[in-house]
Amino acid sequence: MILRRRTLLAASAATATTIASPAIAQNYPRRPVQLIVAFAAGGSTDVGARILAAAAEKDLGQTITVVNKGGAGGQIGFTEIARARPDGYTLGFLNLPAVNTIILDPERKAAFNVDSFIPIVNQVLDPGLIWVKGDSPYKSVADLIDAAKKEPGKIRACTTGILSDDHLAILMMQEAAKCEFRIVHFDSGTQQLAGVMGGHVDVAFDNVGSIVKRIESGEARGLAVTDVVRSKFLPNVPCTKELGYTTVISSSTRGVGAPKGTPADIVKVIETAFLKAINSADMKQKMDVAGLALKPMVGAEYAKYYADTQAQAKKYTEWALKMR
Amino acid sequence: MRQGRLIATGVMLAFCLFALWQALLLSLTDRLGPGPGFFPFWLALIGAVLAVALLFTTFREPVDPADAEVRILPHGPGAKRWLAIVVLLAATAAAMEIVGFRLAMLVFNAALVIALGERRWWLIAVFAVLGSFGVHYIFTTWLDVLLPAGWIWS
Amino acid sequence: MEAFHHLLAGFAAALTVKYLLFALAGCVLGTLIGVLPGLGPAAGTAILIPLTFSLDPTGAIIMLSAIYYGAMYGGTITSVLINVPGEAASVVTCIDGYQMALQGRAGSALAIAAIGSFVGGTLATVALVLVATPLATLALKFGPVEFFALMVAGLCLVVGLAGKNMLAALLMTVIGLLFAMIGLDPVRGAPRFTFGIEELYDGIGFVPVVMGLFGVAELLIAAEKRQARMIQADLKNWMPTKEERRASAGAIGRGTVIGFILGLIPGVGAIVPTFMAYVIEKRVSKTPERFGKGAIEGVASAETANNAYANAAMVPLLALGIPSSPTIAVLMGAFIINGLTPGPFLFQERPELVWTVIASFFVGNALLLILNLPLVGLWAKLLKIPFSYLCTGVLIFCVIGAYGLKQSLFDVWVMLGFGIIGYLLRKLDFPIAPAILALILGPMMERSLRTTLEMSGGSYAIFLDRPVALVLLTVPVIVLGALLLRPGTFSKLRETDTD
Repeated sequence: MILRRRTLLAASAATATTIASPAIAQNYPRRPVQLIVAFAAGGSTDVGARILAAAAEKDLGQTITVVNKGGAGGQIGFTEIARARPDGYTLGFLNLPAVNTIILDPERKAAFNVDSFIPIVNQVLDPGLIWVKGDSPYKSVADLIDAAKKEPGKIRACTTGILSDDHLAILMMQEAAKCEFRIVHFDSGTQQLAGVMGGHVDVAFDNVGSIVKRIESGEARGLAVTDVVRSKFLPNVPCTKELGYTTVISSSTRGVGAPKGTPADIVKVIETAFLKAINSADMKQKMDVAGLALKPMVGAEYAKYYADTQAQAKKYTEWALKMR
Repeated sequence: MRQGRLIATGVMLAFCLFALWQALLLSLTDRLGPGPGFFPFWLALIGAVLAVALLFTTFREPVDPADAEVRILPHGPGAKRWLAIVVLLAATAAAMEIVGFRLAMLVFNAALVIALGERRWWLIAVFAVLGSFGVHYIFTTWLDVLLPAGWIWS
Repeated sequence: MEAFHHLLAGFAAALTVKYLLFALAGCVLGTLIGVLPGLGPAAGTAILIPLTFSLDPTGAIIMLSAIYYGAMYGGTITSVLINVPGEAASVVTCIDGYQMALQGRAGSALAIAAIGSFVGGTLATVALVLVATPLATLALKFGPVEFFALMVAGLCLVVGLAGKNMLAALLMTVIGLLFAMIGLDPVRGAPRFTFGIEELYDGIGFVPVVMGLFGVAELLIAAEKRQARMIQADLKNWMPTKEERRASAGAIGRGTVIGFILGLIPGVGAIVPTFMAYVIEKRVSKTPERFGKGAIEGVASAETANNAYANAAMVPLLALGIPSSPTIAVLMGAFIINGLTPGPFLFQERPELVWTVIASFFVGNALLLILNLPLVGLWAKLLKIPFSYLCTGVLIFCVIGAYGLKQSLFDVWVMLGFGIIGYLLRKLDFPIAPAILALILGPMMERSLRTTLEMSGGSYAIFLDRPVALVLLTVPVIVLGALLLRPGTFSKLRETDTD
């Protein structure tokens, strides 16, 4: 009796350890997988993550639960991902350049660095969008800049978090147009929406995905896409390049990553399942509805993109910190 | 009772002062508005003032003879039961990482029901096993709750 | 009208076998928790959170809400049979309920409580359907300024109701807010009060703290005391007589109105409505001398108000995202764990979830009635479980709950630590409820205040420009200040902790 209990215990204990072994990958996944999103529910990262989770579940053969850990521009969620057990049961959405700027800001004392994550597969590239409420007096970027010049520091522009891509976009715009905004940091697209729609802030620096439907319905008005080309979802909204703001180029990419130390064979299983889901026709259709542009990247390509973003973000973050 | 309240308020005052000191190490404001230290600083300050006020009013309060009867720390025959719960919980939390949920709980269940006065050994045995191995099975298999496995088994 | 369509769809979902089962399980478990002496709804709901880990968010919320009002009802049984309120809201029920039991009318008392709870709960949910959507729409216009003011007002109310303990309640609120500061700063991401302990980066766990303060602390207090004896009651003839029914009808009506209205105000807590309903019932009665000697109206009014309150308190949670009692705060924690932020946007973004949950309130109330009328005798048997097994069993759940949330043994230690703190605070008569509400509201308050100041460029004059915020901020603060300087005004409504 005692002997049997011991073997039972030992067997179950062994499967729970986190050391890499081929036996684990064969069994993986044995139980539901958590997918941490570092932003609140309802934001565009969350929307994309939920679509992806629902699609990848079928290929992975286990439930994928999206867990929102919003706050501090994603730092709380990213910290959680980095600190999670590297057993493949906790994955997370990596938002670039948010991950990078957090690492680069010394005041934040980030509990993770570039090497804390294994970028597995990218899902979305969402360009930035400057938008206002549907009945706003600002009809174009020029109107907005004029107003900001007339009353420096009075026009309230909101971001989805300090040092987010949106924050960098505001800084880029301030530099390019030589104007000054009053920057208000929210921590999710939902709060941004509430802020602009409720008239508490004047303009949102946001991403295309979260707002497409409201621009179509006239509730909101898009002023510019911070990209070199127009967005296919908003063919009537000019891009910053054509408006002459060639340095105001900002976007957010989102993909699935795992904490450092996750066994390579498990990473492979995840990559295969998620990539298959991202490339499916169903995914494309759903993401089109959500206004999110797909940009699948895996392996070396994604790793290089991750490293490049880090280098690029370094420049902007140092600049942002200097302005503080 | 009054003495207990005074001590507790004193501890809270110390806590607020400590928080005040810690908050001052953070930046109260920066160019972009209130900083990380802003809220904790004001809270700790208000808390400290309140604690002093409470100390003062408690001190001035007339001593209620009925209150003097109330004992704050566990006492009497119940104190043993009280201590058993605290000590066994702490021991279980410490042991769980090493021997795992099932074994730690097996011992905890048996020890606590005995400490709380149960003497029927067969009931104790059934309860201890159900409350450890049984509960572990239900939670890990049906409810997807992870419980510590214990590292000495691996 | 739109609300009605959503509600119909909600019913369609809530009546599926899966969700019916979750609601049933929640009602059974909640009643169980309520019956077990010493364990109130706040601790009970917190302890049972791990049971919902594997459920989808809708199912988890349905089950936890059912646990909540199940526990609110379950407390009645102990009040009537052993004169021990299972939770604070049942304190008033003890007054006449236990007297009725001594007179051999325990069955009638429990039956009228079940009927009153059902009527109060159901009518309050109807009113919730009518009120919630307009309130949420209104709240959409609220900015960070107004939300900050609203949260301050809510906390002031909790403090104001603490009676002669007001200064202590205020101090506890501030301490709760300070504990909420632990972890990464929600705006800048700078670590605060973490002392390099990794487990603290995500803040101090709300669920382990609640389990400690309410669950473990209660057990520690119970362990010290001698156990109460149950009276042998005849529970076969539970049907109230015709005149008992007639006497209760008015009380149930008034209790519903009082419970609902007070439930809408964030910060009132469950005990005030029951007291108020009881006092009013005594006032309107032609024979007030019967009260305290086994008047069935006393039981009916308190229990109805109790459950009407429990359902109405969902309105500020769902429409504003502001919890009004520790138990509601635990429910809010459960929303957050499931990736949902209660508040006006939830109605816009997840209407199917919100309305399914609301529909499940109706289902849950009906299930409770069915469970409680015929099965009262069965629940009463639970009172015979020896304390040794009860205490150990509850602690097993506490350990699993504290550990399971984040797979962190650190949280088990947090629970134990707060258990001892809660025990001492209870003994010293320091109110705990304000600290719990402050703990969950803290991060939101800080965020909204800092966003407000970012919006105004650091100027506090912004509060003067916003009439709603100004009123919400000044009125409670002035009232509280006045009360603090002239104590004793509200001392009748002494705050008792477990909700």
